[in-house]
Amino acid sequence: MRDRIIDLKQWIEENLFSAMPMSIAVIDRDFNLVLANPAFEEKFGDWQGRKCFSVYKDRDALCPHCKGGEAFKDGLPRVNEEEGFDRHGLLTRYIKHTIPFREKDGSIPFLLEISTDITETERIRQEHQLLFDQVPCNILILDRDLRIVRGNRRFSETFGELDGRYCFEAFKRIDQECVDCPARQTLSDGRVHQAHSVVLDKAGKQVHLQVTTAPLGLEKDFQHVMEMAVDVTHTLKLEESLQAALAMSHAMIATSLDAHMVVDGAGRVKIFNPAARNLFNVPPGHPMTGEELSSMLPEDFMSMVARATAPVSLSDTFISTTDDEKIPVRLVGMRLIGGTRDMGMAFTAQDLRPYKKLEAEKLTAERLAAVGQTVAGLAHGVKNLIMALEGGLYMLNSGLKAGKADRMAQGMDMLTRNTERISVFIKEFLSFSKGRSIRVKPVDPVGIALELVDLYKARAGELDIELTHEKTGEVLPADLDAEAMHECLTNLMANAIDACRMSDKKDPCHVTMNTYEKDGALVFEVSDDGCGMDYEIKKKVFTNFFTTKGSGGTGLGLLTTKKIIQEHGGRIEMESELGEGTIFRIILPRDRLPKPEGRS
Amino acid sequence: MPRKILIIDDEPDICAYLAAALEDAGYSACALKEEKPTLASIAREKPDLVILDIMMPGRSGLSIYREMRSAPGLAGVPIILVSGIQNARGLVEAEKKRLDKDPEKGPPEIFVEKPILLPHLLSLVESFLR
Repeated sequence: MRDRIIDLKQWIEENLFSAMPMSIAVIDRDFNLVLANPAFEEKFGDWQGRKCFSVYKDRDALCPHCKGGEAFKDGLPRVNEEEGFDRHGLLTRYIKHTIPFREKDGSIPFLLEISTDITETERIRQEHQLLFDQVPCNILILDRDLRIVRGNRRFSETFGELDGRYCFEAFKRIDQECVDCPARQTLSDGRVHQAHSVVLDKAGKQVHLQVTTAPLGLEKDFQHVMEMAVDVTHTLKLEESLQAALAMSHAMIATSLDAHMVVDGAGRVKIFNPAARNLFNVPPGHPMTGEELSSMLPEDFMSMVARATAPVSLSDTFISTTDDEKIPVRLVGMRLIGGTRDMGMAFTAQDLRPYKKLEAEKLTAERLAAVGQTVAGLAHGVKNLIMALEGGLYMLNSGLKAGKADRMAQGMDMLTRNTERISVFIKEFLSFSKGRSIRVKPVDPVGIALELVDLYKARAGELDIELTHEKTGEVLPADLDAEAMHECLTNLMANAIDACRMSDKKDPCHVTMNTYEKDGALVFEVSDDGCGMDYEIKKKVFTNFFTTKGSGGTGLGLLTTKKIIQEHGGRIEMESELGEGTIFRIILPRDRLPKPEGRS
Repeated sequence: MPRKILIIDDEPDICAYLAAALEDAGYSACALKEEKPTLASIAREKPDLVILDIMMPGRSGLSIYREMRSAPGLAGVPIILVSGIQNARGLVEAEKKRLDKDPEKGPPEIFVEKPILLPHLLSLVESFLR
């Protein structure tokens, strides 16, 4: 055994220098390399006859802060980290132990330098540091007392330099551990834990963190916990505002008086609000299907919406209820597109029944008001008639008494004439007060106009009035009450002819009926170059019983005309110049024309 | 010489009736046939009394009444205003107010609603011309 130890000592003395895996070199006081082992030569290359700064660092002169120089002076060994270049010129990092070789007289002729290569270790360390600093979350290391050991760059940017402080105190400004602290849980069971934590940043602003804690090290008695915290403040805010928006829209949909329905991309009914259940008469709890909904909407409406790029709106249509009742609604449908995703369709239906009812009531009220006015006006006409009849009787009686035949004849005339007037008066009055509702169907407007011109041609000719019809551009069929429109145009035509008769002109007068389309409206125009109207008369033309024709008119014509036109959704305009003539224009916007019965 | 009564009404039958009845009662009566009676045509007739319809198509009887009351030769002529329209009474009252008329002074005038009973008309005429 002893021999073997002697052998070992001998081997160490002879071979250790060469066998060491570290680089070992010896330099003299002039920084010449005088000895090096194979590992050194392997690392730094050729060394014989060269200076240390040349071999280690590829320099021409001594390094600044030369550690070797210091060791020669103070004779103390030292360790330091160095950077240099290997034999291939690559940057290399190493830890160098410098050990002075002291002679018996105390002088130091040589230094022994042992270098350990840490290039690879350092690279990995730097990579880890980079990762630690650059990850997009806050990372900090806590010790077993929950003191902050280290934080990454993002952490110190957000929270400041907190090394050495207790985490609860640093983050929450409190003086004891938090209940359910995930780091404490990890420290006690060695597992990963998560928690949501509200903390204060370095400016004192609230920050919401999603925290994950994990043991740092695989050993059972690990000493540190790593805490990774993601800032979820912004996400939480977004989530909150999203929830608020959602709650608001839910509340609005739930309480809306209009029916709201949403069908998803797969045709499933996702929203069917209480107003919709009410409108479609769907019992609560009954699950709606897309097919069922589609069958209750107007035919093909859903597929129309599915194809359309813009919202589809039907301002006056019908839906069917579960018990097949037709209900008038305003219906809007639109596709829901989220980004490029087809999210289905949304529908809104507004129940028009209350409006329809009000509209009908208003019309009735207007009609009643007109009848009221009519009755008042009627009294006036009747009073004149009574006086005229009384006059007739007086003439007849006094003629009889005095035996005057001509006076008797005059009385008979007066009685006959005024009896006739009564019947005309009553007929017109009845036609007005009857207020029959208009019934429309598609007709050719030009046909009505031509018929009327034809009807009055002979009468106009007798009075030396030129009556013509003009058609400007194409006129399409329209939904009209032909009979009522005929009555309107008759009134205007009769007025125009009367205006020509009242004119002082020597030349023949003209009456022109013109039919044309303008700005989406159908227009009938009756113009004459008769007597025209002055301001006073123009103001009164549409009032009950206003007539310029003395006993020849009842004053109901234009009022009736106006009423019929209003019932067609149109209006009547008048232009008149005293002595020049008059134009009456019936304007019927096509989109306001009433719809024929049985068509929605 | 019988007193002369002028009838202004757009209804020819009423004119004829009233004229006959007034003549039978001993007055001289005439009616204006014009559509728009003017002050001059009224003055030409030199009436002792005027029966005036205030609702006529050509021009309003109220404007004739207003003009007559400020015309030197006609301001003192009694007028019987007539109309079939009930609220014409209100119009006449408003017109009187506008003229700032003292009801106690000036020639007699009255509003009568149609139809007018003949005995009532004759007694009014008689009292106005007395």
